Amino acid sequence: MKKILDWLKKYFVDFGKSVAKGDIWTKLSLVVMGAGYIGRKQIVKGILITLLEVIIILAEIFVTGPYMLKLNTLGTVQREEILDLTTLTKTVNDYDNSLLILLYGVIGILVAVAFVLLYISNVKAVYRLQKMKENGEHINSFVEDVKSLFDGKFYITLLTLPSLGVILMNIIPIIFMICIAFTNYDQNHQPPTYLFTWVGFKNFVSLFTSGTTVTFGYAFVRILAWTLIWAVLATFTTFIGGILLAQFINHQNTKCKKMWRTLFIITIAIPQFVTLLLISKMFGNYGIVNTICSNIGLTDFLHNIGLVSSSLDYIPFLSKPGWAHVMIILINIWVGVPYQMLIATGILMNIPTDQLESARIDGANKFQIFWKITMPYILFIMGPSLVTSVINNINNFNVIYLLTTGYTTTNMAFANSNAKETDLLITWLFTLTNDYSNYKMAAVIGIVTFVICAAITLLSYTRMISGDKEEEYQ
Amino acid sequence: MKKTVNIIIRHIVLALLALIWLIPIIWLVVTSLSAYKGVNYAHFFPTEWSLDNFKQLFFRPDTAANFPAWFKNSMIIGVFTCIVSSCFVLMVSYAFSCMRFKARKPLMSFSIILGMFPGVLSMIAVYFVLKLLGLTDSLAGLVFVYSAASGLGFLICKGFFDTIPISLREAAKLEGASEFTIFSKIVIPLSKPMIVYTVINAFLNPWMDFVMARLMIKSKNSADWTVAIGLYNLLQRSLIGDYFSVFCAGGVIVAIPISILFIIMQKFYVEGITGGAVKG
Repeated sequence: MKKILDWLKKYFVDFGKSVAKGDIWTKLSLVVMGAGYIGRKQIVKGILITLLEVIIILAEIFVTGPYMLKLNTLGTVQREEILDLTTLTKTVNDYDNSLLILLYGVIGILVAVAFVLLYISNVKAVYRLQKMKENGEHINSFVEDVKSLFDGKFYITLLTLPSLGVILMNIIPIIFMICIAFTNYDQNHQPPTYLFTWVGFKNFVSLFTSGTTVTFGYAFVRILAWTLIWAVLATFTTFIGGILLAQFINHQNTKCKKMWRTLFIITIAIPQFVTLLLISKMFGNYGIVNTICSNIGLTDFLHNIGLVSSSLDYIPFLSKPGWAHVMIILINIWVGVPYQMLIATGILMNIPTDQLESARIDGANKFQIFWKITMPYILFIMGPSLVTSVINNINNFNVIYLLTTGYTTTNMAFANSNAKETDLLITWLFTLTNDYSNYKMAAVIGIVTFVICAAITLLSYTRMISGDKEEEYQ
Repeated sequence: MKKTVNIIIRHIVLALLALIWLIPIIWLVVTSLSAYKGVNYAHFFPTEWSLDNFKQLFFRPDTAANFPAWFKNSMIIGVFTCIVSSCFVLMVSYAFSCMRFKARKPLMSFSIILGMFPGVLSMIAVYFVLKLLGLTDSLAGLVFVYSAASGLGFLICKGFFDTIPISLREAAKLEGASEFTIFSKIVIPLSKPMIVYTVINAFLNPWMDFVMARLMIKSKNSADWTVAIGLYNLLQRSLIGDYFSVFCAGGVIVAIPISILFIIMQKFYVEGITGGAVKG
């Protein structure tokens, strides 16, 4: 934190110094950004930068400006259609579109921030140029500047397009959604017909409270608990299963190792939306598995011991809470184990053999070797990726969504907040936006999910990296 | 004697496990060959066999199942996404791995933080951004969605570039090579396995994806859909009775090329992932 403050301080002090000590050209570039370059005979660069300045300022004033001015209210004029009775044509008034105001507003602010940064560093660069001139150093011509973009400054060329993509695809959308969390944008406030506006922390409050009709608090606590249980269970079952399977296949007594591995890998090679939809049909209420179960008498047996209520003539694999939760985790083992096996195989092949041998000579048995040497080694290498996979599982949309397409909740408290028992935060978020246009709550849930993911990462990374274990296996 | 028994038991267990893992896939294949169009609830294997589902898929497209169009759309998206995002990944990896500049560390940690936001959260807003650019319901829009942020996936590739000996690059620099020459003439040719991995991965991503396409394509015209959306749509309650085995046939057709690519890639997969993991 202190480092950032120091850096900021230095940043602005440098700027002040450049302005104070600059000569006429440097001072002139406070207004016309390219002046400093033109004064040092870098004409093309000077013109280009001035042009950029003009374009940005014009865009800010004429394109995003009008929207930015309305950011504080997100628009006041609602759309109205007036039917002219004499000509029977409809005219629409000059209405405000809250969505566009917010979107253009966010873009406008980002551009403005970028412009200020550019402006400051431009003045500094011009001052540096002035100093170089005073010291009689060589000043690059335009051709040399372009060449340096493919040499010393090649990273700028490399990173420009990818960064632009990330800004458009990630940064603007994330800022936009964070803003939405503080508005009342939902099915009753949909632009362009209706306006939405800022409501402060109201949505966050309603996520944590529950009344008789709005039950977000009720659903949130349960979905959060299930999300965390799911993430931990899904990660560890597939992790352990994958290592055991890899060990089993890698054992010296196993023949045709490659063939076995390929058999399991086929299952990951098929797109998840195909296999998962198929499995959800297999385990459907009247699916093939239920037919087999009732043929072999399993359904009756479960009726007798009371696991399935006698009013149902099928096993509700994916349609009742409890059953669905267990099935989802089991099916996820099916999905995840081959993948973990693939990774674990790579690691097991690189395990230091001298350690295994010396353990064997010292008289350790197989289980001791596995738990005391193999596992710690795998954990050491896979530790960081284990954390990432917990986070990926928190955001594991496919498994849950595709398996529970046929699931309808009977619990009114869940139904009132458009949730169901098997939902993760992420699938809840998706249903809220895609089916119910409840963007404000979806945005709040997204922010909460991010906070959870960030907290897990930070906690575990400092634990795992801070220890001085780094050189243990080197 | 004891050892042979052990070996036999070991292989029986493996065979059983493999069978469990393959059952859904076997079901997929046999159902795609079924003459009955709906879900077969009573029998695992179809009672009558036929190749009609595949014929229908390719030669008799209708408004519900327009497989040729879906396949074409997915192919176009796959190819373009593959080109753009492989370039992005390689460019970013080179900049972060082989070059040293002031903003390197901050930019790298920043991109890791960005990766922590749930993808679905930003996707909703991505839809609005696309609408602003006028790219919704178009192939260009989906290519943009899949490839624009792909630069963030640089970790594994950067891990690989880190292993290329620094002396090679220094020697080239002494000979007067620019960074661009080093990138295109030294680093790229040396990282063929990594490039194969990146390219296949980038190509498969749009084929495997479901969520993004679901959110971005709102069109009701089935000719605008991708394979994922189209096949998912066939399982709607009103269509499943007539199209389930067609869905399975589609699944098989999609799975064949992907499986082949995946099996080619599996070697790189193991090396790539562990290589990246060790270096963090």
